[in-house]
Amino acid sequence: MNIIACVKQVPDTEAQIKVKADGSGIDEGGIKWVMNPYDEFGVEEALRLKEKFGGEVTIVCLGPARAMETIRTALAMGADKGIHIDDPALYEADSYATAEALAAAIKGLPYDIIFCGQRAIDDDSGQVGSILAELLGIPVVTMVTKLEVEGNSAKATRPIEGAQLVISTSLPCVITATKGLNEPRYASLPGIMKAKKKPVDIKNAAALGVSGASKAKVVKFVPPPARPPGKIICADDTPEGKAAELVKLLREEAKVI
Amino acid sequence: MGNLLVNTRDQQFVLFEQLKIEDLFKTERFKDFTKEDLLMILNEAEKMAVEVIAPTLKEGDKQGCRFENGKVYVPDCYHAAYKTYCEAGWIAAAEDPEVGGQGIPASVQFANMELFGAANYAFCMYPGLTHGAAGLIKNYGTEEQKNKYMYKLYSGEWAGTMCLTEPGAGSDVGALKTSAKRLPDGKFLITGTKIFISSGDHNLTPNIIHPVLARIEGDPPGTKGISIFIVPKYRVNDDGSLGEFNDVVTGGIEHKMGIKGSATATLNFGENGNCIGELLGKEREGMRIMFQMMNEARLGTGMQGLDLGSAAFEHAVAYAKERIQGKAIWEMNNPDAKSVAIINHPDIRRKLMWMKCHVEGLRSLCYFTAYCIDRMHVAETPEEKEKWEGFLNLLTPIVKAYTTDKGLLICSTAIDVYGGYGYCQEYPVEQYLRDEKIAQIYEGTNGIQALDLVGRKLAQRKGANVMNMAMLIQQNIARAKGVPELGKYAAILEEAANACFDLTMYFAQVGKSGDFLIPILYACKFLEIFGDVLLGHFLIDGACVANEKLQAIYEEKKAYSIGQKKALEREDKEAAFYSGRIASAKFFANEILTTVKARCDAIKAGEKVPLEITDEAFTY
Repeated sequence: MNIIACVKQVPDTEAQIKVKADGSGIDEGGIKWVMNPYDEFGVEEALRLKEKFGGEVTIVCLGPARAMETIRTALAMGADKGIHIDDPALYEADSYATAEALAAAIKGLPYDIIFCGQRAIDDDSGQVGSILAELLGIPVVTMVTKLEVEGNSAKATRPIEGAQLVISTSLPCVITATKGLNEPRYASLPGIMKAKKKPVDIKNAAALGVSGASKAKVVKFVPPPARPPGKIICADDTPEGKAAELVKLLREEAKVI
Repeated sequence: MGNLLVNTRDQQFVLFEQLKIEDLFKTERFKDFTKEDLLMILNEAEKMAVEVIAPTLKEGDKQGCRFENGKVYVPDCYHAAYKTYCEAGWIAAAEDPEVGGQGIPASVQFANMELFGAANYAFCMYPGLTHGAAGLIKNYGTEEQKNKYMYKLYSGEWAGTMCLTEPGAGSDVGALKTSAKRLPDGKFLITGTKIFISSGDHNLTPNIIHPVLARIEGDPPGTKGISIFIVPKYRVNDDGSLGEFNDVVTGGIEHKMGIKGSATATLNFGENGNCIGELLGKEREGMRIMFQMMNEARLGTGMQGLDLGSAAFEHAVAYAKERIQGKAIWEMNNPDAKSVAIINHPDIRRKLMWMKCHVEGLRSLCYFTAYCIDRMHVAETPEEKEKWEGFLNLLTPIVKAYTTDKGLLICSTAIDVYGGYGYCQEYPVEQYLRDEKIAQIYEGTNGIQALDLVGRKLAQRKGANVMNMAMLIQQNIARAKGVPELGKYAAILEEAANACFDLTMYFAQVGKSGDFLIPILYACKFLEIFGDVLLGHFLIDGACVANEKLQAIYEEKKAYSIGQKKALEREDKEAAFYSGRIASAKFFANEILTTVKARCDAIKAGEKVPLEITDEAFTY
């Protein structure tokens, strides 16, 4: 079975994000970079399919030089090889341009199933997996929490409001992974050492035949407004008095009721 | 915010900027490594520590170990964590690939161990002792013994221990009574009782392999007559499967102040006359062989001081930044002033500074000691190997005793920062102190370590190890004196180092003249002085490196005035880090090193009050 897992390198969830003074992006100084947690579910599922059916797992990642760490992490977990799309023309790519570059890198490869995270925790757009499937002309099931592959088809479970939806699809397809799909493994030390010898192809936009042109343009990064100070209600010291004051403020000041 | 366990930036500073371990990659042994590999390994170690091990800290303490119907149970939460830890290959990380390891530098493995130990030291004792037992079989076992036991220990499938202590033989191990009787097939029948055996019995693994010190019948008394045996809990068949129970009966477990998740067992070997042991190495060489494991265990115990001290410090800093109480000192007379975070109070800042400089200095000291092991392995000449081995021998008792003594004080100071809450189980710092205390006692008490230093290590190789260390410190002082920001503090280190080495010479002289009571009486004090000088050395050495980098950042960011520099530190984490390292060196020099000479003079005064006082006069 030929399995592809797309991964993105994102700031650690605990990283303190600072917007650059000119609003052109975020200040990358002092940020710890990690594999997008949703992509990690995809890599883990890819490895489990490989363990079950045999075959190869290829990691595809778009990002600057530092993104190589993330590819290496996936290789250390057990993936077989990597493709690193590294081109300054693509650093600011939107979801479409990203999916286009990924599709171009994947097109020439044999594949039965492609994993993406359901979204990246940095820009939260959640579109790349679906656009990628569209560009490759194959089905996509998003937000998958359970996957059963048999022969040439797969049964994927995804949550919907108040219920679970079970979707049958033919292969090849794109699956976007979400929490609950599995518990990603830790890279083992032998895995880390073996990963050094696994091949990673570095490709730029020209080699892939893509322009990198985005359909959406980021106008400006703006930090969220500072949270206004809290208010302590102490007008009347009885619970009833405080409740009355709270209702009054919610209605007249906050205008939420 | 960091991981609240270990400052990983400081780990990288010590490894790559202070010790410059990248130089190791030029050698055959480490040629396959790059800095990126080691950073990735450290990153995985941090993940393992934070996500897998740290969650077992509180629960392991609360549930503790249980002894029921003759069986020992570890805290339930240890099982999954142990499995994940072993599967990732951490036990044998620094071992050769031939035995299942990855051959990473010992200095990096110490950094990994710091993360794991800071997450939960009690948990780490199971894999730690297993590693030590495997190492004994690697170096002294037969091929058959290696195949039978070693690989399964290095993988963590089975666990190991070290069995020295007996009811009548603790610090005086030569008094042990466990006996070994020759059997016709060359094996031995083992009989005796061992107490205080860490990881002595538990349900983490299906088998436990005990290296046991015992005396073969007819061998001379004292340490010279001791041999060492491999005694499995369950016998192992030739095909590697588990055979019958080997009559290693657990008498019970201790109920301890701390490390409650680590089972401390009493083991009765051969209660029913049916306990078989295999000789490890040669007869009557048990002490020499066990010392390999003891030396490793002593460094591991020293690390316990750093691990828990680091976790206590990281927690204290985070708490001091969050906890709002009291007005700022400059607003004390202003009734309308708002309360501030306690990190603004001078006494809290001084406490944090004291903790910070000790944690950082201890980290450099411990990693340097591990780096000596790496340097020994890659030495090109016998002389070079002897030099690094000499440092390792000299530093082992200091790492064990000094690091754990200071580690306990750091944990205690963390409780002071928390105030009353620190004493409550709601916060983790009281557990750090309880878990840390044992480190001063086991693996040879700190009193024994001081005697080892004064009575054995100082004079080793006719004092060449001490001389080499003195030279290293002198070179550092000469360099630091040339740095305008650090010259004053280098001069303080010089005075302290001179006083310390004078005292060393004085000990050698009085020892020669037969009056060895002063060195013995003041051995612990001497060890502390030596440790203080070493810490001062490593901190000032680190400050020289940090200062160079900081000046370059100032230059690059055009920060010239004090105001600009401070503003830069608030923005630029690297600038703040380097400036913090320099602050540590300055503070330590002024706070600790300035007292060294007076303490040396006090010892040289030759007072023997504790020896002269009668037993009756100690209390009424």
